Amino acid sequence: MLSMREVTKTYRAELVETHALKGFSLEVEEGDFVAVTGPSGSGKTTFLNIAGLLESFDSGVYSLDGKNVTGLGDRELSKLRNEKIGFIFQSFNLIPDLNVFDNVDVPLRYRGFGAAERRKRIEEALEMVGLAGRPKHLPSQLSGGQQQRVGIARALAGSPRFLLADEPTGNLDSQMAEGVLELLQGINKAGTTIIMVTHDPELAARAKREVHLKDGQQQA
Amino acid sequence: MRDHGLFGYNLRLALRNIRRNPVLSLLMVAAIGIGIGASMSMVTVNYRFQMNPIPQRSDVLHYVRLDNGDPTVVPEAPPNQLTYIDATALLRADRAFRQAAMSRARMALIPPDREQRPFFADARATTAEFFALFDAPFEFGNGWTAEIDDAAEQVVVLSAATNDRIFGGENSVGRTLTLDSADYRVIGVLDEWELSQRFWDADSGGGAGSSLEDLFIPWSLIVANELQRQGNTQCWKPVDGDGLAAFLNSECIWVQFWAELRSPAEHAEFVGYLDDYVSEQKELGRFQRPLDNRATPLMPWLEEVSDTPEEALVLLGLSVLFLAVCLLNTLGLLLAKFLGKSGEIGIRRAVGASRRTLMQQYLVEAGIIGGVGGVLGIVLTWAGLRGIDAQFNEDLSALLSIDWTMALAAVALAIVATLITSIYPTWRACTVQPTVYLKAN
Amino acid sequence: MEFGPIWRASLRNKTGALLVVLQVAFTLALIVNAVAIAGRQAQQMSQPIGVDEPNSFVLRSAAIVTEFNGRATSEEDLRQLRGLPGVVAAVQMNSIPGSGGGMGMGLKTTPEEGVEEVGTSVYMVDEFGLEALGVELIAGENFAPADVSLREGNDARWPNRTILSKTLAEALFPGDASLGLGKTVYIEGTQAMTVIGIVERLQAPWAFWQFAGHSILVPWRQAVDETSYFVRTEPGRRDALMPEAEALLAGREPDRIIQNMATMEQVRENATDGNRALVNILAFTVIVLVAITTLGVAGLTSFNVTRRYKQIGTRRALGASKGAILRYFLAENLLFTLIGVVLGALFAVAVNFLLVVAFAVPRFSWVWMPVSMAVLVAISLLAVLFPAIRAGQVPPAVATRTV
Repeated sequence: MLSMREVTKTYRAELVETHALKGFSLEVEEGDFVAVTGPSGSGKTTFLNIAGLLESFDSGVYSLDGKNVTGLGDRELSKLRNEKIGFIFQSFNLIPDLNVFDNVDVPLRYRGFGAAERRKRIEEALEMVGLAGRPKHLPSQLSGGQQQRVGIARALAGSPRFLLADEPTGNLDSQMAEGVLELLQGINKAGTTIIMVTHDPELAARAKREVHLKDGQQQA
Repeated sequence: MRDHGLFGYNLRLALRNIRRNPVLSLLMVAAIGIGIGASMSMVTVNYRFQMNPIPQRSDVLHYVRLDNGDPTVVPEAPPNQLTYIDATALLRADRAFRQAAMSRARMALIPPDREQRPFFADARATTAEFFALFDAPFEFGNGWTAEIDDAAEQVVVLSAATNDRIFGGENSVGRTLTLDSADYRVIGVLDEWELSQRFWDADSGGGAGSSLEDLFIPWSLIVANELQRQGNTQCWKPVDGDGLAAFLNSECIWVQFWAELRSPAEHAEFVGYLDDYVSEQKELGRFQRPLDNRATPLMPWLEEVSDTPEEALVLLGLSVLFLAVCLLNTLGLLLAKFLGKSGEIGIRRAVGASRRTLMQQYLVEAGIIGGVGGVLGIVLTWAGLRGIDAQFNEDLSALLSIDWTMALAAVALAIVATLITSIYPTWRACTVQPTVYLKAN
Repeated sequence: MEFGPIWRASLRNKTGALLVVLQVAFTLALIVNAVAIAGRQAQQMSQPIGVDEPNSFVLRSAAIVTEFNGRATSEEDLRQLRGLPGVVAAVQMNSIPGSGGGMGMGLKTTPEEGVEEVGTSVYMVDEFGLEALGVELIAGENFAPADVSLREGNDARWPNRTILSKTLAEALFPGDASLGLGKTVYIEGTQAMTVIGIVERLQAPWAFWQFAGHSILVPWRQAVDETSYFVRTEPGRRDALMPEAEALLAGREPDRIIQNMATMEQVRENATDGNRALVNILAFTVIVLVAITTLGVAGLTSFNVTRRYKQIGTRRALGASKGAILRYFLAENLLFTLIGVVLGALFAVAVNFLLVVAFAVPRFSWVWMPVSMAVLVAISLLAVLFPAIRAGQVPPAVATRTV
């Protein structure tokens, strides 16, 4: 479903070259729950950005759902992100001026669904994360855990091929974190593939398998 | 002492902020400058039409009117000029500290240098005290005396511009020039005399213009030499008979009369005299309207007769709207700028800056922007006035100049307007709870 | 387009939206009124006068002595001017079309009292008038030499033949296909004049007069101390002939001054000096104001882009293409601008009402309103284009940055 082979990414500043990813390979099957772990600077964020089509890479092959993403233009990449990937961010990235309903609506708008279809999907997604009663609330009126649930609902609403979670519990206290994690496990059980980037080994242990990164390479 | 130091710190912070966001700061300065420039240009134009043309004398100068109007018409105010009979009577009575009768004439001037083309000169025929009354500056020679006037001697006082044109700016006192085929001796030349308007002739109509007359001649000559009078002449009653004598004896009004009255007592005495005079005339069958004689001080008189061109008022109104747009613009940009700083504000609040201190910092910043905008506004006002001047063939540079009062007013207006504008953005930026910004980011 | 969420979001952040709305509204109010005033004046000012402007000039003779033979002088002046090689025709006139100074009278089609008169300007000419002015006679005939009489004193009896401008003829004889040719008009109440000709166009001296198109020609020579001459030259020879004509007249008769010599373009320019200034000032104001508003809207949008940097990145990560981001900002601006122009239209009407009441400025023509609104919307969109393109450039990876 997701296949990376020998993916390399180098950042060039004026004087130094940083090898963020060095010949990194990863295969993720349908229904998997993979935790990508590693210390700061290990290339986790670079992996996340490349996997999420937020950044390009220098060499290697990355195919998503059987489609090679190399050389795709902005419009096709945006479409892939929109249709195949559900993002969950560490700091939730909700749009503060929009209420819960409109926040979940954002990716569906780009998808081009009709109004009725969007409403159905938003309501279902909010139901799934347990926030069905709060569509009119603003992010600032919600707790951190609730905000992350909105984030998850937003990721799920477009029925993506997989969820890409970036430290999903990094900004939450342990009780809220537990709730969010259980929610993710439930979603995975229901069949959605999840790739989670985290530096927290305890969290990683909850995934089906763990891939450990160090200096841009996968550690055995 | 502590506050003083804090102000200095805030000033430095403000200057740093201005430098850090040069484009935004520049936009704001430009918006304020242009708004101030536009509105001050229009204010100047309007102010010039209403300004005091002779501040040092405006309290004592009075315009004299007697009500000899048409008895069948309900009067609003006495007519704006006097008959020759009455002007002569007032001159003879000599009841004011100084006084002058005057009228406008057109004279064909033939320069002594026959190479120069003859031209029509704009002349004022007036009595001897005119020059003292209006504080006329002389470069050479001086005005005439009452005796010269009474003797109808053919003498002339030239404006600086006329003297430049005919005599190349030399001292021409004693030289002769030809006016309407008669020879006149130059007895005085005026110095440069920048007038915002020819205020003594506020009611002559027919394009009195804003500039000085070309020359001045004794009052008696208007009759003695039968000059071609210009300016308003109004007769409510047909002239009885033909010729000049009949006209001079008629109820036609065409003479302007000014009196210098130095105190309320002098004013009361003079108006009392006018009433006595008119009452006497009533016995002779003249002045059939109710008694209404006035000696109006200069400024109220100008207000009564001046008409600021409507265009100037329309433009003033539009320019105020213009300034409003510019300030809205600034308000938006300030809001953008200050709210963009909310992270920094949160940190400063967290480390103990009081809300007042922060507000002070931002108001200082706004004040500086307003001040710079005001200075730009002066420059643009000047440019705007030059631009307006360039639109007219007539030279209006004296009318359209900027003085210290206007310049200071421009900067003050800019700073005050910017400060008022900045209250809301400052308040918005500084009333946010410090925690909000520290948490989220 | 996502107007719904944009609208709901703007309600959360009213000030920013309100500032754009108000700025656009005030700007519209100002430009609609300024353009209306300037446009009207410019249109009146640029009306063709009807004479052969590029090849005509005028000059004025004024006596400087009291004993002056005005009649003999003007007859000799005309003889000399007409004799100048290159001069097509010259005529003595009481006033110059478009000059701002002249004679106005009332005309009626019946001698009865109580009938409302139609205002017109009066030009006194001789049989060379039509040729000198270069006006086109569209019906009837020119004055014959025998028609021309000498006007002496202000109470002279009016000649019994006249030529009308077409606009005046249409006002006097509405619906008459022959434009009143051969009919009688009455001046000063009861003095009859027969209409012997109609000219296509001859404007009054006053460009801003309500009857600016009304004029009559009457066959009168004048014996006066001060008079104007209207001279028409062959094409291209005017500028060379002007000093020649001036020297010719000034050199012959020392008891008068030749002055105010001007081309017709200068005559028109002098008469409309103040109005032209007003038009230019207003035009300049509008341009500067629109520029300020553009910069202001661009500045605010630019700030919004910066403020929403992370949000834009998130939208990109969630699948918005660059184009979608660009469209978002354009849509947002369009929404505010549309509200602004609608509000501005109300302001404009209010401002105009005040101007009409306070200054008798004519009510603006409604044409300017939709034009100004459209221009403002277009300019506003243009103003956000650059910040919006910048927004499109925000990299999607911003979404995963934690700082």
